[in-house]
Amino acid sequence: MKKEPGMAYDTKKLNKVFAVLAVLLLFAVLWMFVDDYLRPWKAVQLKAIDIKQQHLNDQIAATSKDIDQVALKNFETSLKQAEQELESKATDISRIEREIGEVEKKIYAQNMTNGVWGSKSGEYQFNYEHYNVAKETQKAEIYYKKMKEAQANFDLGRDKLKAFQSEENSLNKKLLEIKNSQMEIDKKIKEIIGARDRLTVAANLNSKSFVWLLRNLPFLDYLDPTVKIKQVVLKRLTDDRYFQQTTKVDRCTTCHVFIDQKGFENQENPYKTHPHVDTLAAGPDSKHPLKEFGCTSCHGGEGHRVNDFNSAAHVPQNEKQKQDWIKKYQWHEPHKVPQPMLPLQYAEGMCIKCHQGVEYLPMAHKLNKGKRLIENYGCYGCHKIEGWADKVKPGPSLLKIAGKITPEFTKNWIWSPHSFNHKSRMPAFFNQANNSNPEFMALNVAEVNSMVEYLYKNSESYTPFAKYTSGDAENGKHLIQTIGCIGCHQVEGIDEPYSKTANMSGPYLTGIGSKVSGDWLKSWILKPAHYQENTIMPKFRLTEKEANDLTAYMLSLKNKTFESLKFEILNPKMRDQLLIEDFSTFETEAAAKLKLSALSEEERTLALGKKSISKYGCYSCHQIAGFDESMPPIGPELSAVGSKPVEQFGFGQQKQVPHTRHDWITNHLEQPSRWDLGVPKKFKDLTKMPNFYLNPEEITSITGFLLGLVNDYVPASGKKILNAREAIAEEGKKVATKYNCYGCHNIEGHIAGVNEVYKDDQNAGPPWLMKEGLRVHSEWLYHFLRNVHPIRTYLTIRMPSFNFSDDEVNKLVAYFAAESDQTMFADLSGKVNWEPGEREAAIKIFNELACTSCHSTGFTNDTAQGPDLHQVKMRLREAWIKKWLNNPQAILPYTPMPNFWDDGKTSAVPGVLDDNPEKQINALVKYLLEMSQNDYPKGTKYKDL
Amino acid sequence: MKAIINYLSDPVFSFTGIIFFFFLGIKHIEVVASKKFATIALILILIIFGWMSLDPVFLSIVIWPDNVPIIFLLALVIWSTWFAIHKGVINDQRMAAGEPPVEGTPENREKVWAWPNLVYTELFAIIAGTVFLIAWSILLKSPLEEPANPTWAPNPAKAPWYFLGLQEMLVYFDPWIAGVTLPVLIVVGLIAIPYIDTNPKGNGYYSFKDRKFAITSFLFGWLLLWIFLIIIGTFLRGPNWTFYGPFEFWDAHKVVAANNINLSEIFWIKFLNMPLPKNIFAREFLGLILVAIYYTFVPVFITRKFGQKFLITMGKARYYFLIFLVLTMMSLPLKMYLRWFINLKYIVFMPEFELNI
Repeated sequence: MKKEPGMAYDTKKLNKVFAVLAVLLLFAVLWMFVDDYLRPWKAVQLKAIDIKQQHLNDQIAATSKDIDQVALKNFETSLKQAEQELESKATDISRIEREIGEVEKKIYAQNMTNGVWGSKSGEYQFNYEHYNVAKETQKAEIYYKKMKEAQANFDLGRDKLKAFQSEENSLNKKLLEIKNSQMEIDKKIKEIIGARDRLTVAANLNSKSFVWLLRNLPFLDYLDPTVKIKQVVLKRLTDDRYFQQTTKVDRCTTCHVFIDQKGFENQENPYKTHPHVDTLAAGPDSKHPLKEFGCTSCHGGEGHRVNDFNSAAHVPQNEKQKQDWIKKYQWHEPHKVPQPMLPLQYAEGMCIKCHQGVEYLPMAHKLNKGKRLIENYGCYGCHKIEGWADKVKPGPSLLKIAGKITPEFTKNWIWSPHSFNHKSRMPAFFNQANNSNPEFMALNVAEVNSMVEYLYKNSESYTPFAKYTSGDAENGKHLIQTIGCIGCHQVEGIDEPYSKTANMSGPYLTGIGSKVSGDWLKSWILKPAHYQENTIMPKFRLTEKEANDLTAYMLSLKNKTFESLKFEILNPKMRDQLLIEDFSTFETEAAAKLKLSALSEEERTLALGKKSISKYGCYSCHQIAGFDESMPPIGPELSAVGSKPVEQFGFGQQKQVPHTRHDWITNHLEQPSRWDLGVPKKFKDLTKMPNFYLNPEEITSITGFLLGLVNDYVPASGKKILNAREAIAEEGKKVATKYNCYGCHNIEGHIAGVNEVYKDDQNAGPPWLMKEGLRVHSEWLYHFLRNVHPIRTYLTIRMPSFNFSDDEVNKLVAYFAAESDQTMFADLSGKVNWEPGEREAAIKIFNELACTSCHSTGFTNDTAQGPDLHQVKMRLREAWIKKWLNNPQAILPYTPMPNFWDDGKTSAVPGVLDDNPEKQINALVKYLLEMSQNDYPKGTKYKDL
Repeated sequence: MKAIINYLSDPVFSFTGIIFFFFLGIKHIEVVASKKFATIALILILIIFGWMSLDPVFLSIVIWPDNVPIIFLLALVIWSTWFAIHKGVINDQRMAAGEPPVEGTPENREKVWAWPNLVYTELFAIIAGTVFLIAWSILLKSPLEEPANPTWAPNPAKAPWYFLGLQEMLVYFDPWIAGVTLPVLIVVGLIAIPYIDTNPKGNGYYSFKDRKFAITSFLFGWLLLWIFLIIIGTFLRGPNWTFYGPFEFWDAHKVVAANNINLSEIFWIKFLNMPLPKNIFAREFLGLILVAIYYTFVPVFITRKFGQKFLITMGKARYYFLIFLVLTMMSLPLKMYLRWFINLKYIVFMPEFELNI
């Protein structure tokens, strides 16, 4: 084609190009809008509408089923009749209605007139007052007159209005009289089908109607969409945006639509109801309502992001879920999120973030278990954890070890505790994946030999005070099962149900006969503090025979294989090699050798022993001579391990372990030595964390607790702050944990460790301590804990005598008082004041109810089946006794105490005190108080035992 | 094969290699400018790139949203450089045959209207660009990351792609040189080009022969010292700014031995077996002298050997300023080689004055 002059291109061609480009731009813009409009969460909400519709329809169907069809039909027929009747009176009705209309019109007009006069009178009054004060008499008079006139008119009008209103009332009444029967029936019908109708309205509102469509159309959806991002703004909590704490915003409900609504429990995620909607979280009546606490404050994750599934930093619980998510949501590891969502099994950990400084948390069972395990395994010995500083050392004292076990045993034990006792809480330092090559083993053997040498060289001498003669092992076994040892210990071979306890406070006793001597054992169970002053092991007030029998049984528990083990003797070459290595840390090898040659053989062994004890941190768990409290913990601090950046965990060459905090911790707990595998480390640099051989469940619990140790900032308004009483109770709980009170007693909803044993007959087990502060006097409790004496003489299980300090007893007493909101002391000096004839009635009740047939102590020689009634006054609070008599089962569901007054509804003894239960109970209580002793039973002090 | 490529991509080899190929290409510029060469090169590049993309590690680096524009950039740089040279060489051949350059033919000297020839086509470019950007932003989500966390810096912490060359220089130079002096000189040098380059040839038409030195030295700085460093910084530098081959997994724990020493340490301790002098000028005298020689004697030497012609045509001021710029530019590859071959950290090490060269 020939070009025009001055043109480089053909215009027609240019136009075509322009057309194509314009169309492309149009499509690109449309594409942009579509891409912007289609958000993953919208699909979720659309499905949620269907689910809700289904839910409503189900409810409609259910309520329809409840409708009494016969009654409905009857009412409908009578409604028809009533309506026919009304039709016959149609002329009357229409006349009255017309009249009502007339009157209403008049009322309306009158209201208008009154309004005018009212406002005018106000205006004139104002003017009158104004001119009157201004002394403009003339004008004032004019306005005064006008005001009066207006007021008169207003009053007149109001009067007329009243007349019209009463006329209207009487007309309405007439109309109502005619229509009455029809309306009554209508109301009844509505009562029957009202619920269904309301649901139908809800269903209609929920349905995808035309209006719904209009509201959610692109562009129009800026006005008032129904499909939209839903959020809660949490004023009390913050999100850490690094440079600033911002108000927390959670948008999780955009997809988790029904999380706080009941009725969607069986739906798939994300449409599911929260599993603890009523009690723990999400629901409006739960402890942590959605509107106040949101979701991510407990679960972690990025709550404000709704881009897609991944942006919220969801984290799968396990491999299977991970694969599912990858398939369904193209899931990937959250990218650079410091606090991704906690996998569900660890979610309880986050409780500690706000609930700090508490012994345990109701409902957080896994967390409590994790904490208990950390306590039992003594993790806090080597790893500093904030708030755990003043706990006792988890292992036994080694100050007098020479008087307890043989060096040979100690060596074998340190070498492999689990081959002696598979439930040993002493972890295994040796024979691990990172130190079991022949070279390292030889060095380890030298270390163990030296450590034991050091321990025995520095051990105080100890001679048991008791002599074991011989005993009945069968009876010993019986005793161990029944007097309460199983509150803290377990042994292989004891009978069901005694073997079913859940306690780990004391050592597992299997094999103990191969470990210690009869004399030592007997001395220990008689007086634990004779060997170790600060032991938490209590005294059981054993008789000589009981002690012998128990010892006989325990001595029969032997581990023959372990006994026959011979530990390799010390290789001086290995010892010297290790010492030279140690000495040459800051000096040349030659100087180190010189230093070594100045030491005698024994000095060398002791030097290595002390060094090895420092190296492995034995002193963290055991008291050892030469190591005082100032020694630092050897492990890294765990106070904020839940916030430790993942980069700071050393994954070594363990490529199969995913790079997350929880995967590192679980793998670490499972096999601490794994990080050394494939890394050619020097002997002295090997990972020293020992292996506890934890089971997966234990690992999960511990990991959950550790993950909760975060350093997130939580504003004071968002934290649970203990009030004075709760703080007092917490102190007591710490003492109760230390001495393992929870091992035997059900305390305030805490299930006792021995609970399983006494499941069928709780009355034969340790008493439950529910609202104990309401039951007993604080002074009594103090006295009792100091001088334990049997209260329920019919129990075989014993309350032992503990070596409490004054502070500890006081804390325990205050704990029970605080837990029951009870003030501390009651006045016991008052004398009983009898009403006339009341005392006789009381005696009659006492005899009629045969109280002494069970509470026989001091009355008959029968075996008592209940506590001594002579101690009632000093022990029990008066208000509690009344409540108890009123309905004992309401307080202790298991008690065999008869419910004489049937919750205060019936008279227990007919014809006495006007058959008034309250009077009868009061009289009986007075009688009990009167007969009670005025001092405490003697009991025995711990130190006198 | 991949292992060999990983090994050869180490800057020691790849940088040397690319310098070699650069000058080889300049020498045989007619070959490079031919369409046949371009076609073969394009096919080869596509095949090699496709093959490399089959590797998951390489692919993940290439499709990382941050890096996609750099791929575009590379394609455009190669294309436009080749296209200019192609046109220049055609003109050179025409002029050698006594014909005017293509731009100088009568039909190309004819004038056309700005509308629609220019404005309309500019509009096309705007629309096409907008469509492209929309599509790109939908298909490849913007690589926005989480809110900045001062306690958790990304590793590797990379500058925007256009500054990665500068960041790569930080490996070889003290920050004040790599981050301040050299960038300032680059800008000053670019501004100064019209004042230094007074050669009237090549105005209004493409040509290589007429401006051989100008084009070569510019392309050397641009392609080798800027673009190539960006490539290294983008694709071959991983966590801790450690070098990783194109197929090498970015293991953050990779350890590379790097014990660099200063010239003064080499001279006094290793060579003379003496303690370092207390006086810092005495200590650093060798480095200071070498730098002084570099900027004084070397220009004189160059002038004697090659520069007489330039000196006459350009005049002293222009000439020496040009030499200064060229020497400064050449200091980068020089320092790179010194680092690779003798582990040299600094020629002059005077932290007392924050003067490390």
